[in-house]
Amino acid sequence: MTSTLSIQGLRVAVGDREVLKGFDLTMSTGEVHALMGPNGSGKSTLAHALTGHPGYRVLEGSVTIDGRELLGLSATERARAGLFLALQQPLEVPGVRPLDMLVAAGADPATVGARVREEASRVGLRPELLERFVNVDLSGGERKRAEMVQLGVLRPRFCLLDEVDSGLDVDALAAVARRLSSAVGEWECGVLAITHFRRLLVELVPTTIHVVRDGRVVATGGPEIAERLEREGYDGFRAPRA
Amino acid sequence: MTTFADSAAAVLDAHPGGGRREAWRAFEEVGLPSASDEVWRYTPLGELGLERHAVATGPSPAAPSDAARRLAAGAGVVLTVVDGHLAPVGELPEGLSVSADDSGRSHTGQALVERYANDAFSLLNAALAPATTVVRVEPGAVLAGPVVVLGLAGSGASFARLRVEVGRGAEAVVLEYLEGGRDGLVVPLSEYAVDAAGSLTLVTYQRLDESAWQVARTTGFVERDARLRQAVIGLGGHYDRSRNDAELRGPGAANELRTTYLGRGDQVHDFRTHQLHLAPRTNSRLLSKGAVAERSRSVYTGLIEIEKGATRTDARQTNHNLLLSPSAHADSVPNLDIRENDVLCAHASSVGPLDALQRWYLESRGVERVDAQRLMIQGFFYEMLEALPAALAAPIEADVAAAVGEVARAAQVGS
Repeated sequence: MTSTLSIQGLRVAVGDREVLKGFDLTMSTGEVHALMGPNGSGKSTLAHALTGHPGYRVLEGSVTIDGRELLGLSATERARAGLFLALQQPLEVPGVRPLDMLVAAGADPATVGARVREEASRVGLRPELLERFVNVDLSGGERKRAEMVQLGVLRPRFCLLDEVDSGLDVDALAAVARRLSSAVGEWECGVLAITHFRRLLVELVPTTIHVVRDGRVVATGGPEIAERLEREGYDGFRAPRA
Repeated sequence: MTTFADSAAAVLDAHPGGGRREAWRAFEEVGLPSASDEVWRYTPLGELGLERHAVATGPSPAAPSDAARRLAAGAGVVLTVVDGHLAPVGELPEGLSVSADDSGRSHTGQALVERYANDAFSLLNAALAPATTVVRVEPGAVLAGPVVVLGLAGSGASFARLRVEVGRGAEAVVLEYLEGGRDGLVVPLSEYAVDAAGSLTLVTYQRLDESAWQVARTTGFVERDARLRQAVIGLGGHYDRSRNDAELRGPGAANELRTTYLGRGDQVHDFRTHQLHLAPRTNSRLLSKGAVAERSRSVYTGLIEIEKGATRTDARQTNHNLLLSPSAHADSVPNLDIRENDVLCAHASSVGPLDALQRWYLESRGVERVDAQRLMIQGFFYEMLEALPAALAAPIEADVAAAVGEVARAAQVGS
């Protein structure tokens, strides 16, 4: 069944600064969208605000999955409604084991061990690394792969991928992109890939590209957008005067 | 109703020897502490009501709980001590002896009344405990399984006294467990003596009723190149005071002490430590970790004392506290008293809530808040449980996990 994630008029502040200033985006499961924009345009803020990060304050707007409003929900309820965030820098949670976390997140305790090993081998992660505490003593690439293991076990409807390409080696980037591409086929995972490089999009081919500037989407389209970006840079996509 | 004074008088009349009368007189001179004494300032002494606690004249009819039985299952030897009375002991492995000592003397040879002069509760123990249960491991003996001392406290005032003696080069694991004590006052007094090159791993596990008052005191005597590894776990009690001292008496002696406590409701956990370094190259490692939820509070006061001549001593103490509710409170007071220059000495402490971003990370995977908190609190205690002896770890870990679950739920309600 196709689900639709709809973001309407979202305004979000970090501290006293308004970062998202009326952000609109709609996508469905089975689609890959790329959100591109320069540093500071609000891309990461979107990912964190959607998943209920405590440092982000929603001022106005609406985020729904199939009409169900998410913004009043806890971070847990948003995750269980189908949102999964792969972070730019996955947090370390010392003392907590990945298997315990996944079981608490709803994975079947009877099969989670086997599922984790299977997913680890798909993204080229040594399974013994997942016996360490969550993201502790893992390299940047290993953390990203570990989050793809979480994704494969939890099978969310939508994955928000926050700047996954920054600071990541080419092999890890390819592994993440391949895993997400197959997730789109396997359970129609919807992927919203936040990036300011085009490198990721070689492996993870987007159906739709959005350009974001100054807290708003200023252009939406197909591959032609990427080509225009290549020619003109972000300066070619000026934010309309409000 | 029998008062404390009447019942104590009856005990002293029936058993006047073993220095009991002297200890009682010393107690009367010293009197109960008051909140104006610095070391008792966090204690709700007004709630103690000593007079309402009658001293048992014999063992109360207490049966070990299921939790106690689970611990006993991992034991090589189980000793049952009810209100300080040692139950008949079965066959013992070679190298281990168990006896009751009514001499009223400390391991040091001093009379208890001298050794524990000015300490009101220890003096009460010296006056009113039936005898000292002595667990002795012969020199060179290596016990195969842990010795589990199941301490059961009835209601009223309960005084148990234990001395563990590990001979030269011997090795043993001992669990000193305590449960019961509903509406009671429980005052255990223990000594752990490890002779040269010996090794004692000692777990003190307190799971008293949450209405009980405990005032416990332990002292380790660690000789040349000997090692005393201690884990002190406090889950129960309304007021749980546990003073754990160690004297590092011979060169190369080592003491490792890990104290773990979880508080909820109105519980108070009050931990005191005193590491006394008397000889060169002695080593002490203290790690104290606690979590307090609801209106509970904890106190950690640790003193490292290094005598002149205890050169190349290495002493560390660390205390971390998790605050799980705005009404919970933790005090951390590490102290150093160093009279020698050629030493390494360090202390660290922290008091704070669970990390909000780590919690969000777990929640953003779909973990409910209460489970996220449970996993994080369990993670906080991981290094404490990891150090437990293998034969005893599973039931204690299960108890701590259950207590963590309750504390996490309590924290959930409070947040």
